[in-house]
Amino acid sequence: MKRVVIILLIQILFVSCGKYLNKYPHSGTPREHITNEDAGLLVTGMYNIAQYKPTFNGWALFDLIGGDIIRTGATSANTPKLLVEGAIAPNGSIVTSPWNGYFAGLYQINSTLSVIESMPESQEKREMLGTCHFFRGLYYYNIVTRWRNVPIITGQKGEKQQQKDEDLVWQFVKEEFRQAYLLSADFTDKNYVSKEAAQALMARTCLAMGLKEEAKSLAEGLIENEKFSLSDFNHIFRGKNNKEEIFTFANLVQESSVNMSSYYYTKESGVGGGYNFCPTSEAMAMYKDNDKRKEISIAYQGNGQPVLNKYCSGDAGRDPLYIVRLAEMYLISAECQGYPKGLDRLNELRAFRGLDAVNPSDQESFIDAVLDERRLELFGEGFRWYDLVRTGRYTSVIGVDDKYSVLPIPARELSLNGNLRQHPLWETSGAI
Amino acid sequence: MRKLALCFCLLTLALAPPSLTAQETTLSLPQERMKLITAFNLIEKQSGYAIAYNEDLININRYVVPSTGKPLQATFEALLKGTGMEAHIQDRMVFIVPKMDSENDWNKNIYAPFNMIEESVIVGYGRMNKKDITSAVSIFHPGAAASTASSDIGTMLQGNVAGVNIQASSGSVGSRNRVSIRGIGSLTAGNEPLYVVDGVPISNTTSDAGGWEGEETDALSDINPDDIESIQILKDAAASAIYGSRATNGVVLITTKKGKKGTPKVSIDAGCSLSYIPKLRKLKVADADLYLEVQNEAIDNYNAQTGQSVPHINNPYPERGYFSWTDLVLRTSVSWKANASISGGSEKSRYYISANVRHNQGVIIGSKAEKYGIRANVETDIKRWLSAGVNIGANYNYTHHVPNGNMGTSMLTHSLEHRPWDRPYKEDGSYTTKDNELLHYNLLQALYEQDAFNRNYRLIGNIFAQINFIENLSLRSSVGGDFMYTEDYVYYNSKHMYGNSVGKLIDARKAHSSLVVDNVLSYHKKFNSGFKFDAMAGHSFQTDASSTASQTGQGFPSKDFNVNSAAAEYLNVTSGRKEWAMQSFITRITLNHLDRYLLTLSARTDGSSKFATKNRYGFFPSASAGWVISKEPFWKDPKTTIKLRMSVGMTGNQGGIGAYAWMPLANGGYNYLNESGIAFMTKGNENLKWEKTTQYDLGLDMAFFSGGLTLSADFFQKYTKDMLYNKPIPATSGFTNEICNIGQMRNSGLELTLGSDISIGDFRWQGGFNISFIKNRLTSLINDGVLTSGSYHALKVGEEVGSFYMIKMLGIYQSDDQVPAKQYAQGVRAGDIMYEDVNGDGDIDTVNDSQFVGSANPLFTGGLSSTFYWKGFDLSFLLTFSYGNMIYQTWTGGLRLGYGLWPSQESEALARWTGPGTSNTVPRAIYGMTWNSTKFVNTRFLHDGSYLRCRNLSLGYTLPFYALRKIGIRSLRVHFSADNLFLISPYRYIDPEVTCSLDATKMGTDNMWLPQPRTFSLGLNVKF
Repeated sequence: MKRVVIILLIQILFVSCGKYLNKYPHSGTPREHITNEDAGLLVTGMYNIAQYKPTFNGWALFDLIGGDIIRTGATSANTPKLLVEGAIAPNGSIVTSPWNGYFAGLYQINSTLSVIESMPESQEKREMLGTCHFFRGLYYYNIVTRWRNVPIITGQKGEKQQQKDEDLVWQFVKEEFRQAYLLSADFTDKNYVSKEAAQALMARTCLAMGLKEEAKSLAEGLIENEKFSLSDFNHIFRGKNNKEEIFTFANLVQESSVNMSSYYYTKESGVGGGYNFCPTSEAMAMYKDNDKRKEISIAYQGNGQPVLNKYCSGDAGRDPLYIVRLAEMYLISAECQGYPKGLDRLNELRAFRGLDAVNPSDQESFIDAVLDERRLELFGEGFRWYDLVRTGRYTSVIGVDDKYSVLPIPARELSLNGNLRQHPLWETSGAI
Repeated sequence: MRKLALCFCLLTLALAPPSLTAQETTLSLPQERMKLITAFNLIEKQSGYAIAYNEDLININRYVVPSTGKPLQATFEALLKGTGMEAHIQDRMVFIVPKMDSENDWNKNIYAPFNMIEESVIVGYGRMNKKDITSAVSIFHPGAAASTASSDIGTMLQGNVAGVNIQASSGSVGSRNRVSIRGIGSLTAGNEPLYVVDGVPISNTTSDAGGWEGEETDALSDINPDDIESIQILKDAAASAIYGSRATNGVVLITTKKGKKGTPKVSIDAGCSLSYIPKLRKLKVADADLYLEVQNEAIDNYNAQTGQSVPHINNPYPERGYFSWTDLVLRTSVSWKANASISGGSEKSRYYISANVRHNQGVIIGSKAEKYGIRANVETDIKRWLSAGVNIGANYNYTHHVPNGNMGTSMLTHSLEHRPWDRPYKEDGSYTTKDNELLHYNLLQALYEQDAFNRNYRLIGNIFAQINFIENLSLRSSVGGDFMYTEDYVYYNSKHMYGNSVGKLIDARKAHSSLVVDNVLSYHKKFNSGFKFDAMAGHSFQTDASSTASQTGQGFPSKDFNVNSAAAEYLNVTSGRKEWAMQSFITRITLNHLDRYLLTLSARTDGSSKFATKNRYGFFPSASAGWVISKEPFWKDPKTTIKLRMSVGMTGNQGGIGAYAWMPLANGGYNYLNESGIAFMTKGNENLKWEKTTQYDLGLDMAFFSGGLTLSADFFQKYTKDMLYNKPIPATSGFTNEICNIGQMRNSGLELTLGSDISIGDFRWQGGFNISFIKNRLTSLINDGVLTSGSYHALKVGEEVGSFYMIKMLGIYQSDDQVPAKQYAQGVRAGDIMYEDVNGDGDIDTVNDSQFVGSANPLFTGGLSSTFYWKGFDLSFLLTFSYGNMIYQTWTGGLRLGYGLWPSQESEALARWTGPGTSNTVPRAIYGMTWNSTKFVNTRFLHDGSYLRCRNLSLGYTLPFYALRKIGIRSLRVHFSADNLFLISPYRYIDPEVTCSLDATKMGTDNMWLPQPRTFSLGLNVKF
């Protein structure tokens, strides 16, 4: 009897627990379970990724290295030149974190596209596709302006990609915005992708590509569009209703880690701030007293510390990420029309902002005036560096080597992907 | 029985028998009436011999008057007169046995009841006699002196066991140790051994729940060192393969104290200690005059070469004297502990219960850890064939955090970053801040305006039953658990720099439970031919589940409101949950012929939920053989024993990977405008499988002069393949890393342990020395290229894991002519650092000019210890050493010499280059240029981290028994000890052992974390 008990006991104890070895996560689902019914969730996820993945470094870069911003604190890289030379390097985080972020975002976009494509035809599907193309265009605009010759990735395999020529990348960006324009819904909410948002970014792209006529007519189309009109800065940058914003990431506090304000605000702001970067004294002096943008653009905090004032939530919250708004369309239109035809749009904007008209005498001084206006209007919104670069002024304005007019491809990426080539300007000089 | 067990301890403590002379030594015993047991105790203490007897055969409570001045044998003869018993002295044991006629008879008939007197070793799912062990197992018994008020398991093992290298991450209270057994096991974070307490595998990482951003809290500190009977370290694969898939990094088996039959014994330990950071003068910040001299010289140099006119800086407060922020935040801390235990047992039941309290202050003001623990180990024989028991330890730890680690407010680091005239308070009593007067955070503000703590509740225990079915066959079933609940609380009020001006609270919780069910069937059989056979087969199932919850709220009415229900808004609310499970089949067979030829075979199969179904099960076999040469008939020297061991085995590693690492996932929480969204954020890898290590070990154990001198040597080779590695992949793929099995690595090493035990008269010396040479080499990875790991290290085939990879400093340019044109164009001049231009392009850059410059791994490490006994005194010391390891100082604040406003380290400022020939190691002061300081990770900041440390020196005195007997005290010992008494090292800062990263591929960096303090302790141990 005892033996029978023993044998039974052993059998019970040793019975396999194999099925208990299947464990599943709670905050995710295996990828194979995703179907096209989940497309809506993926599109929402894509908005989230698109707004936070480039990181602060990505969204703010063109200001940080644009000459109007310096570092604060004890590090004393307190000229734009020192900031640029210290920050831009093949292994600098200002270069690598956006690179990683953009391509991570692209992966989401491409993966989402592949899920949407398996859906039956519908208006909803068209709009979702439009959103994907819009984000892919926006990402590639950001990538091509920084690194020029880059791989164009449209599928989910991106490990050992080869670079495409800069022109081809620009063509791709434009095509993406064209697709987005064709597929997206009409504008109803600045926080969502719309036909008009695609149109605005296509205008920006055409300007960069030198397609002046096309850029002008796209920009004019929006200026004429009654859904939009110029608005006061204290509406746009203080969260009030306005008709100027065309596309803006909501960037809610619980949905994003990109906190612009904490980099620019001081502790004395009342809402906290890390105060890593501040405007140069030239930037602080560039706004005239009657410029209605002045108080929202810049301010002094604590005992006279200059701050960029467009992002005001401090450490506590998050500010929206302004992607495109109508004032830029005025400036694109003006720049593309050239001297003297473009003067109207330029002065129209200036008048709205409380400034007197300018009256340059030739094309060159007209472009100077447009760039000055862009500097005032778009300060802190991620434009300055590329404005200087695309007009060939960057190295002379900042006083740095020519190579700083393009970002080096991250060293890590080069070493992992033998198919990539460093930009010629950076080829020999490595990290300096 | 009680006595027998005591013998094991004594045997072990002594490592080996004393010399021949001890037997001839005369004993001096008090001439008074006492119980026989008391006399035995006295003799044991004086002679160092352990006494074994059987309580059924002799009445130990009878009264005797011992004779004095006689040698051992004669003393026993007198004591045992008329009992029909005699003392048989063999090796360093005294066996009290019935009188026999001849040696032969004794061996044949009487030895049998005592055959358990040999030291038994816990080997995982069973015990073995130490002499039968054929694998590399180290045993450590913490003596009474080993535990001071601030000690933990890590510091106790340090320097005591060959092949085990323990590195404290810092001197902060409750911080973690890095424990590596036989080199580097893996490239992922899973480099720590498996810890098993009384058969329960426990979680050994951190008890943090994610709220605190400073140094991690050590989860091993939940185990009370005073409750530990022994720690056994399974080093080679033959020993550890029985733990299969988690054993690659070795296994640490912790056995807690158990009760023994006999009258209740009470033991009380109490102690207190003082700690402080020594050698602080090495960190002295330059005074105002020197600081200004350097800064203005830097500005002059800059102006001279650029033609600019940056103005000089002046001392705004010339009336203020020198002020040390370091002195402001450091203190001499006071710690104390008390431990009480009661143990005993009847015929059928045995118990050990204890209670423990430790209050441990840190050397930074405000930091402390309070620990409370209780334990109950109870075992009872229900029937002749059935016994059952429970071992349970419950602990509560409270750790009050002060900013440390890499936090922006980290105390020691940032205390060196204030100018000599900076003060913590303005005249109106408010804080000075970074935004008005200071360069860096005000440390007092950081300290006083935060409230951060970790409360950890832990229960580790098991309940078991053992059935002896028939003779030699038994089944042991046990259910073990490791339950942990953690409260991680970080409150920054509105005055704190991290309080966002409105107050911020991170309130995080973690619940973790791990359950393991073991059923082990054991059989042993002894044949008359002298052949012994042991077999074990078992099944084990473990599930591990944890959940976390954290809310971050901000906006509090005042600092009195410190819970999140008072918060104005929530920044972050998360909760998480994960589980993994493992099923294992275990077997082991041990064959022993005449105690000469030993063979052990073991195998384990593990199935883990961490891998996809197709790769779920792994098989881990091992074999080991031993040959006790000295038992051979041809061996003529009975005082020498020699055992040769060899083993091979396979182990696995699944540490360092997530519970669902293999699964490609669409993750939730990627929301936009409060609509829920998902995103493909986890790449996964369906082919993920175990990392496997094959280890070969060749060992030799020798004892001379009947154990007066012992030597143990082990040579091993450890080959790891299919390494789990978070492989970097091009970011264009959408991910920067992919977890996969890649690459191979080899560790080879030699371990030597020497022991001595020599008595001359009343004087006894026990010495120990161990040294291990371990060499690691990466033998294959993705390709032959250099793969950087963090900012300071890189991996490359042919190099050690943990190698530093950076630009090499050659010296200082003494004149402008020496500066290559490309560097000159960037402003490099005489006085700046000359770096090695590896690719010869005249320029320096990290990509092309970095090289391998040394390793964080030592060439050898070890310890040297001695204990001297004389009458009631004992004096012991332990030296630990490490040679050939490099350390990189990531903190460069005081070495910038004019780049930025950072104050200078006095030593650096005085040694700076001021003209040709003034220095070839410290550069000139230069404003605005990073070339010499932060531009490159370079060997200017890489130092030799070799050291020789006096880990412990202690002096104890045990009061004479006859003085105490009348007041009912069995034993009373007072001891004084000094930890970290001195350190000899070429390292420029205080502690070369501190490491910011416990990751094998990134270790050996010092970001001015808190050094280990020097501690003086006083302790008292009373037994009655």
